[in-house]
Amino acid sequence: MNKIIYIFFLLLFATNLQGQNDTCKSSLLGKIIDEHDKSPLEFATIYIVELNKGTSSDSKGFYKMENICNGNYTIKISHVGCTPIETKIIVKGKTNKNFYPEHHTEILKDVEITSKKSIEQTTQTKNDVSEEKLNQSKGQSLGDALKNIVGVNSLNTGNSISKPIIHGMHSNRILILNNGIRQEGQQWGVEHAPEIDPFIANTLSVIKGANSVKYGSDAIAGVVIVESKPLRDSAGIGGEVNIVGMSNGKGGTASAYLEGNFNKIKAFSWRVQGTLKQSGNISAPKYILINTGLKEYNFSYALGWKKEKYGTEIFYSQFNTTFGIFGASHIGNITDLKTAFASPVPLETGAFTYDIGRPRQHTEHELFKLKSFIKTGDVGKLSLIYARQYNLRYEYDKHTPLNDSLKALNRPDLKFEITSHTADLIWEHNRIKQVTGSIGISGITQGNTYEGRALIPNFRNYSGGIFWIERWRKNRFELEGGVRYDYKWMQIFKYQYVGNATYELITPIHKFENVSGNLGAIFKKDSTLNFSFNLGTAWRSPSANELYSFGLHHGAAAIEYGDNTLQLEKTYNAIFSVRYAPIKKLHFEISPYYHYISNFIYRQPASAPVVTIHGAFPAFYYKQTDAILKGCDFYLNYKINKSFEFTSKASLLRAWNQSENNWLIMMPSDRYESEVTYRFKKYKKISSSYLSASILYVTKQWRVPDNSDFVPPPNEYYTVNLHASCSIKIRNQNLELGISVFNLLNATYRDYLDRFRYFTDAMGRNITFRVKVPFNIGFKSKSINNNN
Amino acid sequence: MKKKTIKLLFATLAVATIWTGCKKDKDLVPLPQPVQNEPEVFTTMKLIFVDSSNTSNIKYATFRDPDGDGGAGYDIFDTIKLEPNKTWITTVLLLNEIATPIDTVSNEVLEEGVDHLFCFTPTGSSATVIKTDLDANNRPIGLQSKWRTTSTGLGTMQVELRHQPGVKDGTCSPGVTDISIDFITKIQ
Repeated sequence: MNKIIYIFFLLLFATNLQGQNDTCKSSLLGKIIDEHDKSPLEFATIYIVELNKGTSSDSKGFYKMENICNGNYTIKISHVGCTPIETKIIVKGKTNKNFYPEHHTEILKDVEITSKKSIEQTTQTKNDVSEEKLNQSKGQSLGDALKNIVGVNSLNTGNSISKPIIHGMHSNRILILNNGIRQEGQQWGVEHAPEIDPFIANTLSVIKGANSVKYGSDAIAGVVIVESKPLRDSAGIGGEVNIVGMSNGKGGTASAYLEGNFNKIKAFSWRVQGTLKQSGNISAPKYILINTGLKEYNFSYALGWKKEKYGTEIFYSQFNTTFGIFGASHIGNITDLKTAFASPVPLETGAFTYDIGRPRQHTEHELFKLKSFIKTGDVGKLSLIYARQYNLRYEYDKHTPLNDSLKALNRPDLKFEITSHTADLIWEHNRIKQVTGSIGISGITQGNTYEGRALIPNFRNYSGGIFWIERWRKNRFELEGGVRYDYKWMQIFKYQYVGNATYELITPIHKFENVSGNLGAIFKKDSTLNFSFNLGTAWRSPSANELYSFGLHHGAAAIEYGDNTLQLEKTYNAIFSVRYAPIKKLHFEISPYYHYISNFIYRQPASAPVVTIHGAFPAFYYKQTDAILKGCDFYLNYKINKSFEFTSKASLLRAWNQSENNWLIMMPSDRYESEVTYRFKKYKKISSSYLSASILYVTKQWRVPDNSDFVPPPNEYYTVNLHASCSIKIRNQNLELGISVFNLLNATYRDYLDRFRYFTDAMGRNITFRVKVPFNIGFKSKSINNNN
Repeated sequence: MKKKTIKLLFATLAVATIWTGCKKDKDLVPLPQPVQNEPEVFTTMKLIFVDSSNTSNIKYATFRDPDGDGGAGYDIFDTIKLEPNKTWITTVLLLNEIATPIDTVSNEVLEEGVDHLFCFTPTGSSATVIKTDLDANNRPIGLQSKWRTTSTGLGTMQVELRHQPGVKDGTCSPGVTDISIDFITKIQ
């Protein structure tokens, strides 16, 4: 990162020097493209040795140097993570030349990813899952992959449901952007994992901190960004096959994509992608967890038509999964739960099988996206993004219905459907003096329906927003500011019990509006030290279930009462970040943060349990309080020598309920992780080989309010993970092999943020094997000459 | 010319995507499903006690939560009032009063007798219970039972319905709780 900043500023000064000779009016322009994946490279330096003059490529890989005298020059192209290219060129008139640098090390690739995305980098803290970590988590869920980022945890319901937590917040306090589109369906609750195929993700990153200005509501704790690879823009056909095997659950995943671009019609690109996954019952160290199998099939395709001045892209994806819910976790009442917890082994155990019985869930998610842009002269770019999402969920209880006619129908006990249409119109203006910016409007409409057990009522909502962001850069300073206005209209449709065995349809309307703002600054002292600071606000409206819950939530073994007078929740957040790299070998980051959330919605336990025909259940009321969540994320990377590398991460969080004067429940405890990596030298055709061992230490969460949970939080634990990987060059393609061992010592532990901790130990040792086979058919050349 | 073909192809694919790819929007948002369509619930447990020495002496005790779990609470929760030193022929009746017509769920429990078991746990002055009905595997169910009362006083009776699919062994521990009600008992 620092290197890029360094280069960037070098260039900024370099550009200021140009334009001395008025008699020389020629220009050199073109594109810098990654030799392997054909993606444009941002922040590559293009340097003319003889003229001592350079520039850098923009986010699309374009570069342009003007006012050059005609002649022969030596040109140097360099990019972080790439072998520099040095070549002779002839400049005559308007000279168009593209360059294709090649990556020489995998180590630097994560840095390079950061650089590619830095157009999106805000004054907020943004972290990427490195490619190495992304590879290691292949075959696991999206939530598991995101945990590699410091300050990010996951809220699990067993092994199949994993939701990201940023700074202690999750669900509708996190916005997930899947290919630039807000992932909907997350408001349904904590036992609904994001329906995204991790194999779609080429880059996975997290922006920490409140940011409603750019992303709209819900971005209270941060934004998870899932980006698929840009479409191929050079002629040829390429692809990749990934195979992953897992020992625990005897699972397998196969994923592949195929993409192409025609030689004759360069504007048109396409890609198809698909993933199949299946696993059986997983095992804790001492027993098999019955009914924990999973089946998943996903596919997606993308089509693009791209010219320099305009372009259109279509993306479609479908995600389908069916998975069992651990049988022994199904309970009838609070007594059952206590019995289950007191038992040293789950009350039901069984043999290994791939069969998925009851209880189970089936989920489908569909995304269709249409994105078009047109360049508005030299001034800017106008983009229109439309997306439709459809999300379906079936939940089957453990119990089949007693009534024979109902049983014969084999209906899910609960069925949710939510359809969302979103549209965004954004105009980005190019740099005017030192200022870049964008202005946009967005609209959403959603319809939610359910069948079966009443949990979340039907609703329809419409919302719209308008925003304006500007960013000023000069020398070592960057300032960013933005403002947004949102309006949301929601109508609920629900039958309410009015006594005397009578129900009445109620159709209340809720309206919310909010103004959010954002202010940030970056100061780069020099290449070794930079500071960033961001003040942000964000909001979310109370969800339909927070407003209208009125019954037993079976999954949570609790009776929940909504409150239809809940106000919108607003957060004010400050994040300060220091990146310090005094020497090349050492990189240190510290980022303390502070979230003040007014009208924080939470479930407060009632003093007395509620008596039902099933026995007693704890009751919870949705309440609002002012909450403070503060903490700090640390990251340290030290390259001891060429082979040895040490990485350490820590995330600390304190979450306080102001009005109750107590801790907030279900907050992650402190986590520390250290990793030692040994990188092998390149040997013949084998490169990028490494071996790493990491140890994760999670402390016991004792900062919990009294009497708010069924059982006390579990103890601290350690887990040890091993990873090894190498890349073998066969016919110019890098075949990648990897092996990872999770929970090497087969440690028995329970995690506070696993909702199955009441019933079972966490998953035991899991060994995963993975193979990645890329292929590429088409012409390849280091550079293309196209003199006009 | 060829460019045109590809453009056309692209457009066709785009249209085809929109046409075939997407599942239909649910437009029934303003009309929630009728309440009767919700999965079956137990709303009511009725205990019927017949004095074995005088069959015209009948007592009742009812628990009723008319809108199911949560929401509005129970509206009937009787105390079991029985006379001392008698044997009571007892029947358990389970109803779902949300369904129309009212569903007698206890009939279905009887049908699935091999997966269900009633457990009666007395404390204090209450009754001792002997189950008198049997399932297909000759194990008791508990829809029919004999309650023997002795001394007068106050106590409780926990009536539990255990769902024990495939694991019923005649004891109360396997399975999960379908019903659990602590009735107050008054032997007078």
